[in-house]
Amino acid sequence: MVNFALAGNLNFLSLGDILQFLGSNTSTGVLCITSKYTQTQGKIYFVKGNPVNASAGSLVGIDALNSLFGWVDGEFEFRDENVSCEQIINKSRMQIILEALSMLDDGQIERLGPMSFSDKLQSSGNSSILPILKGPLIDYTYIVDEEEFRANNKIVAEGKHGGWLWVILEGVAEIVRKTPTGPLKLLRIGEGAFIGSLSSFLMLEGTVRSAAISAVTNVQLGVLDARRLSVDFLRMSNSFRNLAISLDKRMKQATDMAVDVHLNKIRLEEYINIKNQVINQGDGEENLFEITQGVAHIVRHTEHGYVPLGSLYPGDLFGNIPFLDLGQEPFHASVFGSKNLEFKKMSPDDFQQEYNQLQATFKNFIDHLATCISVTSMVTCEFHKKSSQK
Amino acid sequence: MAILNLKKRQIECKIVYYGPGRCGKTTNMEHIYKSYKKQVTGEMVSIDTEGDRTLFFDFLPMDLGEIKGFDVRVQVYTVPGQVQYRSTRKLVLKGVDGVIFVADSLAVRREKNMLSLKDLQHNLKEYGLNIFKIPLVMQHNKRDLAGEGLPIMALEQMERDLNRQLKMPSFPASAIAGQGVGATLKECLKLTLISLKKEMKLGQ
Repeated sequence: MVNFALAGNLNFLSLGDILQFLGSNTSTGVLCITSKYTQTQGKIYFVKGNPVNASAGSLVGIDALNSLFGWVDGEFEFRDENVSCEQIINKSRMQIILEALSMLDDGQIERLGPMSFSDKLQSSGNSSILPILKGPLIDYTYIVDEEEFRANNKIVAEGKHGGWLWVILEGVAEIVRKTPTGPLKLLRIGEGAFIGSLSSFLMLEGTVRSAAISAVTNVQLGVLDARRLSVDFLRMSNSFRNLAISLDKRMKQATDMAVDVHLNKIRLEEYINIKNQVINQGDGEENLFEITQGVAHIVRHTEHGYVPLGSLYPGDLFGNIPFLDLGQEPFHASVFGSKNLEFKKMSPDDFQQEYNQLQATFKNFIDHLATCISVTSMVTCEFHKKSSQK
Repeated sequence: MAILNLKKRQIECKIVYYGPGRCGKTTNMEHIYKSYKKQVTGEMVSIDTEGDRTLFFDFLPMDLGEIKGFDVRVQVYTVPGQVQYRSTRKLVLKGVDGVIFVADSLAVRREKNMLSLKDLQHNLKEYGLNIFKIPLVMQHNKRDLAGEGLPIMALEQMERDLNRQLKMPSFPASAIAGQGVGATLKECLKLTLISLKKEMKLGQ
């Protein structure tokens, strides 16, 4: 029988904290760390509170231990047991912690997780190199077939009909939108990212692809079992289905808006009524609302002015979705309503419960959708910054 | 919040040196490390971070006495102020028990001092701490530079700039000569222990 002396979430207790705790407790045993962004397990061996060895993927010793500091989103378990492995780490605890944390902040240790874009965009300053958005750990049970695309080949053409839903198993692809001034690269996506939207298997409004996707490197795709996904979807409650569809629409809105902002086509004052502000950016609104009438506009306030991120219509939801980070309202955007806007309050708890029970692939899909919305919003803000600097 | 270590019968408390870059935090800590050498457990950890250094060591000051049979172990840190070192700052400031703000007496550093103090308030707030409530001591460092003909600020002016609202105890110092370093730390430890006793309701 395995006995855990201590277990929990790294979001709550960071590796630095755990190391200090095990240190002052002079514990001997093994600390196992898992993250949904990698399949390997990280291990750190402690003797009398001091880390003596570690492993993570192909790394061992101090390099492994350092790399584990990048697993900021994950879980840990400490087993109280005798450790017989060789001591190859000789640094003091605090030396290890402080060194690793500064390396993490300097970008020398890779952070596992959905990319943090603001950092990358700021530091690179070179917009021709788009950040790569990776998805959560792939759930292979829903993959029915595999396909391969060579570098520079089109996977999906904009405006064409197509009903496949894929997940990228290997390689990098690029999302491109047609504009009057030429093709506009919006995002790069990598392992775990999904290609296709909910409409792929719901046949909502035809299945026209809203953007082109081409392979940057050789890309290996997994074809997802659309029938199983639609069965999962039909099992959800009405309101959760509504949430998923609303997120899908929001994603499309965010992409449309990115293109419009890039083309400098938006005249904010024409459609936003500042007086009718429903949610103020950063106010920490805790409720979730469903629009029953009218239009709600999502707008982010940046140091370069207001940036529109999309509009929501009757049936759409807005407000705080506790288990998803859309990078929009309530923390990163405000919501302005049209004059006739009416909405009703929903309970986020019911959604949370249903979300917890989702099948892995669907959960991944929703998580990925949220990350895409968040990242596309950031891209829109970058476009806005550039056009306002001109 | 200090940690009670029942195994070692120690109370571990955390003191952090804060201040603008090159104000003398490192010099302060090096001096203490040397003068408490016998009571220091382990080496001083020094990490080069951009524009500044991060230092750490812990020791058992004999002259502090004990609280209810527990020895007091003091962990001393400096913390990099640069925005990007978020993770280090979080680890260091989380649960900090006392802060020493080292201000630079050089006239040209006036604004840097004020910015750094504001930054400290902001960072503490991020970890749920209030600059008005945490044990806080100020040190006006580099007083010796006046003798070398460099323009330094009058103590009254520095107090006006930095300490008008906070009204924390403050000490003139010349960390490089070791003057005022011990006094600053002792005052901070004193305030920290008073606050710890209050917190643990051991004071009555």
